[in-house]
Amino acid sequence: MFSDIVQHLVNGLVMGAVVALPALGLTLIFSVLGFINFSIAAQMTVGAYAGWLVNSYLHWPLVPVLVVAFATAGAVGIVGDRLALVPMRRKISAHTPLMVAIVSIALNLALENALRFGFGSDLNSFDMPVARDVQFAGIRVGPQQMHNLGIALAIAVALAAFFTVTRVGKAMRAVADNPDLARLKGIDPARLSNLATFIGMGLAGIGGALLAIDTSVDPSTGSRLLLIIFSASVLGGLTSLIGAVLGALLIGVVSEVALLAISPVYQSATAFVAILLVLLVRPSGLFAGASGVRK
Amino acid sequence: MAFGAAHPLLWAQNKEPIRIGILIPLTGATSQFGATMSRAAQIAAEEINAAGGVNGRRVEVVIEDDQSNPEASVRAARKLIDVDRVVAIGGSYASSVTSAIAPLCWESKTVLATSSGADSITKLPHQGYIFRTSPTVTLQGTRVGDLGIELGCKKMFFMGPQTPFAQSYIDIISGIFTRAGGTGAGLIYEDKKSSYRSEVDQALRAKPDVIVLGGYVPDTSVVLKDLYRAGYDGKRIGFSFGINQKLVEAVPAEVGEGAYSLVPSASVNAGAYKRLIAKMKVEALDSYSCQVYDHVNLVALALASAPAAEANGTTVRDNLRGISQSPQGKVVDSAPDGLKLLSSGSRINFDGASGPLEFADNGDVKGVFFRYEQIQKGKLAVTKVA
Repeated sequence: MFSDIVQHLVNGLVMGAVVALPALGLTLIFSVLGFINFSIAAQMTVGAYAGWLVNSYLHWPLVPVLVVAFATAGAVGIVGDRLALVPMRRKISAHTPLMVAIVSIALNLALENALRFGFGSDLNSFDMPVARDVQFAGIRVGPQQMHNLGIALAIAVALAAFFTVTRVGKAMRAVADNPDLARLKGIDPARLSNLATFIGMGLAGIGGALLAIDTSVDPSTGSRLLLIIFSASVLGGLTSLIGAVLGALLIGVVSEVALLAISPVYQSATAFVAILLVLLVRPSGLFAGASGVRK
Repeated sequence: MAFGAAHPLLWAQNKEPIRIGILIPLTGATSQFGATMSRAAQIAAEEINAAGGVNGRRVEVVIEDDQSNPEASVRAARKLIDVDRVVAIGGSYASSVTSAIAPLCWESKTVLATSSGADSITKLPHQGYIFRTSPTVTLQGTRVGDLGIELGCKKMFFMGPQTPFAQSYIDIISGIFTRAGGTGAGLIYEDKKSSYRSEVDQALRAKPDVIVLGGYVPDTSVVLKDLYRAGYDGKRIGFSFGINQKLVEAVPAEVGEGAYSLVPSASVNAGAYKRLIAKMKVEALDSYSCQVYDHVNLVALALASAPAAEANGTTVRDNLRGISQSPQGKVVDSAPDGLKLLSSGSRINFDGASGPLEFADNGDVKGVFFRYEQIQKGKLAVTKVA
């Protein structure tokens, strides 16, 4: 029984790691731009397709695949933002975070259907071998899933450093805090918002590619996980980068460990009940204000 | 048009076309066959129109997306019935979708030709408006259970997503194993997960020597990968909606190797099937797209056999068995041939691309046979037809 619990704990970490990167992206964009960008789900799928194309046709290995996924999703993210969301944000009368978020849902559907139009509904597979699990003291661990976890944590740490050490990072935090004051100090919010969108959507693209290596590439690859990603960000306080990662891992662990007691059909319900309980106790999320973009 | 009568297509245009709704999954979890279903329906209509249409009227298929979602399918079905005034709705693939739209169909006296398997569908009070071209869950489950026993397995474990038929599969297949002196159990999972490691762990705790996969392609591909990662080396059996050519392309070869699949079969030698795959320029076609092709043909031939009656759902219902299974009818395997014979006053017995198409009183198709396939070296190979 004890080994079962540990096994489910590990499975939960693995599941959470996949969600962590897009949750990071969502949190980053919210921190700098002040709205939830739901098109992140389709951007994951964009990253998945970009990675799959260079992997299956050019046989590139994992790391270059992830770089391509990052760059493509980031670029598409900026284009989508410029076309659909910037005009909304400029309208003073319409510029409420909710309005922009709703337009981002529409953008998400448009992107997903553009992919469907371009590639069809078929499932595609990365040309990468599926590694057998390794046993540690009776616990099974997948090498590839450990990769995912490592990559997610490394990126979270790198981002945290970027925001505390570099000038651009500090400028982003300033914009997040008070755009008018930042402008007075000579910071250009438009440029920074592009950068935030690029990095945030790029992270989603990497997450999507990693997810697709585990599952498959199809037009719904990202949107299947949208709710869980959003929940992970909320649990992390929506402004804390480390919080986003921890939130994702926590949701993964709670929902997988719950399987020991509850039928798998109700799995997502257990995760959401956990969120409900947490938010009742701490409405601002578990990690709000902890080493985030907004101090 | 004084010379119009010389060409049937010209005088057909003077009248409203006969519309047949095709409600199929173009998007969502069950959308793997949407594109081929849509092509098959259009080809059927083209063939019928090229042969002069039905009673001098063109046949038009109106294709709608059910989004693999019961709620969206109800909206699409309403539009087909109220706006397009279709005589029948064909396609209707996921059992959850078919269960949702069935009442709309029989209440509006529209025929529903479906490729869904859930037994509950034909138990609905449909007054004869439902025709099911797919074998029922009971039949498919029984065949899968028998195959497991045949392969010498003793301990069965079923894994599948929440569908109207998941629990029936567990009960039916477990029953077969228990009667043969073995055991059977199962779990039902969520179909949108990125990993099924914990579910696989649960399944493996029962130490099964055969795992039955009851999902559609997206979730089945992930479950297969996780079974492979976990080092499971027993048998795996799935259904054609989960283990098929699309799945073979979606997983690395070593992951699917050796898995079995049960495919409701067009007799591969049927003339209708051979012509259809030639027209679609494919080497083989899934059973469901063949069924959608037959839905259009059945409806058109049923109306053509009653030229005096009004072209509506009730006429289709009352005449469909007359053209699909009449013992006095001449056996035909193409709608144009059927139309020609009907117009000369002969009776026909239409055999389609998905099978001989004979229906029991409750609307279930009879006399279906199956192809048993296995993934061998990254390809689906037929092991037997029965």
